[in-house]
Amino acid sequence: MLKDKIEAHLLEVQRPSRYSGGEVGQVVKDRDKVDVRFAFCFPDIYDVGMSHLGMKILYSLINSRENYWCERVFAPWPDYEAVMRREGIPLYGLESRDPIRAFDFIGFTLQYEMSFTAILNMLDLAGVPIRQSERGEAIAPIVCAGGPCACNAEPLCDFFDLFILGEGEEVNLELMDLYRTMRDAGATRSAFLREAAKIPGVYVPSLYDVTYHEDGTIEAVTPRDGAPAVVTKRVMTDMDKSFYPDSVVVPFIEIVHDRVSVEVLRGCIRGCRFCQAGSLYRPFREKSPETICAQGRALCESTGYDELSLSSLSTSDHSRIREVLDDLLCYTAERHINLSLPSLRVDNFSKDVLEKVTTIRKSGLTFAPEAGTQRLRDVINKNVTEEELMRTCTIAFEGGYTQVKLYFMMGLPTETDEDIEGIADLAQKVVNLFYDMPGRAKGKLQVSISTATFVPKPFTAFEFEPQVEKDEIIRRQQVLRRAIKSKKIKASMHVSDISQMEAALARGDRRLGAVLYDVWAAGGKLESWDEFFDAQRWYAAFEKNGLDPAFYANRTRPYDEVMPWDHLDYMVSKRFLIRENELAHQGVTTPSCREHCAGCGANKVLGRPCFPKEGDA
Amino acid sequence: MKDYRIEFAKTGSLRYISHLDLNRCMIRAIRRSGLPAWYTEGFHPHLYLMFPLALSLGAESLCECMDVRLTEEVPEDEILTRLNAALPEGLRALRVGTPGREAVEIGSAVYEITLTGQDVRVRWEAFLAQESIPIEKKTKKGMKTVDIRPQITQEAVEETPDGLTLTLRLPAGNEGNLNASVVTDAFTAFTEGAVQCRRICRTKIFCLDGKVFF
Repeated sequence: MLKDKIEAHLLEVQRPSRYSGGEVGQVVKDRDKVDVRFAFCFPDIYDVGMSHLGMKILYSLINSRENYWCERVFAPWPDYEAVMRREGIPLYGLESRDPIRAFDFIGFTLQYEMSFTAILNMLDLAGVPIRQSERGEAIAPIVCAGGPCACNAEPLCDFFDLFILGEGEEVNLELMDLYRTMRDAGATRSAFLREAAKIPGVYVPSLYDVTYHEDGTIEAVTPRDGAPAVVTKRVMTDMDKSFYPDSVVVPFIEIVHDRVSVEVLRGCIRGCRFCQAGSLYRPFREKSPETICAQGRALCESTGYDELSLSSLSTSDHSRIREVLDDLLCYTAERHINLSLPSLRVDNFSKDVLEKVTTIRKSGLTFAPEAGTQRLRDVINKNVTEEELMRTCTIAFEGGYTQVKLYFMMGLPTETDEDIEGIADLAQKVVNLFYDMPGRAKGKLQVSISTATFVPKPFTAFEFEPQVEKDEIIRRQQVLRRAIKSKKIKASMHVSDISQMEAALARGDRRLGAVLYDVWAAGGKLESWDEFFDAQRWYAAFEKNGLDPAFYANRTRPYDEVMPWDHLDYMVSKRFLIRENELAHQGVTTPSCREHCAGCGANKVLGRPCFPKEGDA
Repeated sequence: MKDYRIEFAKTGSLRYISHLDLNRCMIRAIRRSGLPAWYTEGFHPHLYLMFPLALSLGAESLCECMDVRLTEEVPEDEILTRLNAALPEGLRALRVGTPGREAVEIGSAVYEITLTGQDVRVRWEAFLAQESIPIEKKTKKGMKTVDIRPQITQEAVEETPDGLTLTLRLPAGNEGNLNASVVTDAFTAFTEGAVQCRRICRTKIFCLDGKVFF
């Protein structure tokens, strides 16, 4: 039995309970009594994947149907992968410990581009042919994926039967229902895929032909066999009625985000021009305070967790957040539960609220101005001013905090050396603020600056922009280092070729499938991990396939170029993105959606304005 | 306020849970059970839970103990029922009582060890017949060689169709601790891989004075 084989070797590896299942909250069903089995695969290790909220929602959703069974699957750490390959243990579902190659669906979530090689490796470990074209006409397993990177999964088209665009709460079950009917009627894989393509939000890449111009850009994407010319993402229009789990799997080991979370809203009103999530998850939709509190209580009670997080892209933008906090704080305080708001904009809050919630671990405060000068912050539409930062820091210092972390991006469009020096200036002002305060806390002040290389992403105003090349980033880092005068400021900057590969994959086309395959074949697996990423493997794979990462990452794309993802509709119109790009270059900001509708187009699905004004019907 | 000692079994896949993870798992189980747990005072109050003797990862046990403090008296059978309803498969509360002996009094523990392979009995006897069994041990000052032979007391040995089941008593607690896996690793190395250890299960904990701990 596979179970015995697994257990015989688990003590050879680090953190064996990553691979043994059996946690509180896992769903175990009788394999003989279920119709459709779904392997929910996260292409990274357990500790990372178990922290992912989307997986928890969809796991519970599928399992809420008595005859469907969803199990969890993660990528093994290299020590356990070696055991699996040596002992012939195929990739298995944690709940049943059955090999997933016999499941009906193998579904991946695409959270970040650098996880793509892990997908290929997991398919190989499962014993499933990696390329879609080699899977034959037997209907199972259907290899599918969803999540943010499905907005341009073109580099993965060789490996997947279908992608699910947008939110999965309805479409996943529609797909499984169709599968069950067609499988029972003896349908082939391709017949199923042709039918699946008719479900809104389902993208079947093999039903689209892509032609290229001589210069390598795309000429056209043409649908076949009745597939729609444009596939539109799915959206849940009423968050209060949308499925949300009242129980989740409680891991034994400590995971990256070790807490229960209630999603308080979807979308974002802020319109930062670099931010892909802010675009993909539009339109803005809130849950009512009653729903949030009921869901939070249910999760705490069923799991025993002592930390509850209110998560979203910008939790303090919830129109009734004070009500939510007042209500929840009464509940959590009595039960020794920490309430945490990871994406809090502290500026909206009074001191007393700040003291009651764990926005941060004591002694550390993080803040993301993203750019060093107001000019550049206007370009990227990050509507945070220096005064706001200083006000927040004042509150924090008064509250006894002595560590401030500032996050920036480097290589933003229009960035000059002045903007880079602005990063050091801003940090210096925080230092000065601390030492000018009469009642400042004792203890050592530390202001840390962390910079990441900007990666332009599809469906953002910057999808047309080139990524700044590595050598120039290195030069700009030196400019920053020279500009830092205080020993209280610590800058952590590192360059890696990972950013360029991420940029190439993010805006890549189908030809990158061959590159991914070659990187995997050369040993690339957990490539999102610095310790495993090997740039040479990537450059060699690009070269072997006659492709250049710079073509994808570092080239300015004209507004009228056909993008690899233009046949996918995330409800934010191209016209809007072009307009925002032009405003960026003029240094003109766009107000938040609540102040003024910017006309991105995403509200069409709601059939009303996102923020109805008084007097509107 | 009242302190209770709870004896529990840790078996099956739960043997892959480290002591730290077990601690977290028990805290969450107590919270789920709704028992009126007492929290420490201070800036970061936490649920008070104490394990007199840790169990190493990989071993099962039928005699683990933890001490918990409740804000009010609760019937012992109710503690048992409510806790068991909240525990995952592989953890089972067996007995509830008042903490008597203290952790520092622990002196030894008994382990049931299942071995498989060829000529296990003969090899085991040869292993035990050695004058000394030196083991490399990692200490704060670097590697140190320790003779574990005097620490091993064989209480029973029983042949099985495919090997041997040993009952060993080994030192445990503050005064000196010997993991059963150190013994089985030394033995499998001694047999050059001809014998495998299938299971280690702690069955009893004793105090230095020879009396049962709980």
